[in-house]
Amino acid sequence: MFKYIKKMEYPINIRNKDLKMAKNLLAQYGGPDGEFAASMRYLNQRFSMPDERGRALLTDIGVEELNHVEMIAAMVMQLMNGASKAELDEAGLTPQYVQHDHALFPVDANGVPFTATYIETTGDYIADLESDMAAEQRARATYEHLMSLTNDPDLLGPLSFLRQREVVHFNRFKELKDYYEKNMNS
Amino acid sequence: MYNSTNDLFEPYQGFIRGNMFKSLYDNYGKVYDIKPMNEQAELLTYLDMFEFAMIDIGLYLDVFPNDANMIAIYNNIKNEKNKIMEKYEENYGPLTLNSNELNKTPWEWDKTPWPWEV
Repeated sequence: MFKYIKKMEYPINIRNKDLKMAKNLLAQYGGPDGEFAASMRYLNQRFSMPDERGRALLTDIGVEELNHVEMIAAMVMQLMNGASKAELDEAGLTPQYVQHDHALFPVDANGVPFTATYIETTGDYIADLESDMAAEQRARATYEHLMSLTNDPDLLGPLSFLRQREVVHFNRFKELKDYYEKNMNS
Repeated sequence: MYNSTNDLFEPYQGFIRGNMFKSLYDNYGKVYDIKPMNEQAELLTYLDMFEFAMIDIGLYLDVFPNDANMIAIYNNIKNEKNKIMEKYEENYGPLTLNSNELNKTPWEWDKTPWPWEV
């Protein structure tokens, strides 16, 4: 069961419109290593984790990723706030406007829609955890690319927070995998 | 591993870094302070940092469930968080559907801004 807390995990207060960064940030909304995919992946995989540690860790990281979905969504919406059709066009967002107006839709930075294959579940907990570790590393790299494309501290603060969360999640998944390799006779 | 409080950042320092555990911190350039614009945002920052500390320490305890010292730290932080949460809701309205502030008419849940609204 999930309950809402009416606040962000980390505050998002973006003052400057930036349509290009809005488009770039979609990578972490509906992209293959985005927060939406991460959350659904862990909340799905937790049902086939072999013990209480795995079920707890995948649940809690999956829930934390929902907070990150909300942060990315807020960033995209605030960056696009008050954008004209001409500004959307200049940033390459006209196709997005045609189908979705100013609304959010889970696509990646190229406009490719989210797909269930990103949820990557094999039922083999070692394979799943190694895939999760790799996904965290790819998301970390994506955050570094995004950080290299802006000088706006309103964006850099939350992006550096999110980047470090990928590092922490990677390490916790690795600790769990190491524990299973040592303790489980699979 | 991680048996003493010395291995943790203070809640605010951990929060702005996205990481409570010094050994896992991967420094990547500048650290960005939170700059609250008013008293409400300042109180929210306290809440954010304690809530964050609980999330991060919670993940650690999922994998290392026998660390009694860390469980004590978790509970201390939780008590701090609860105090701030109550104070925040008293002053600025409900944050959850469990809030004590939801006993009034009209219904207050939808009266305060959503967190993505600036």
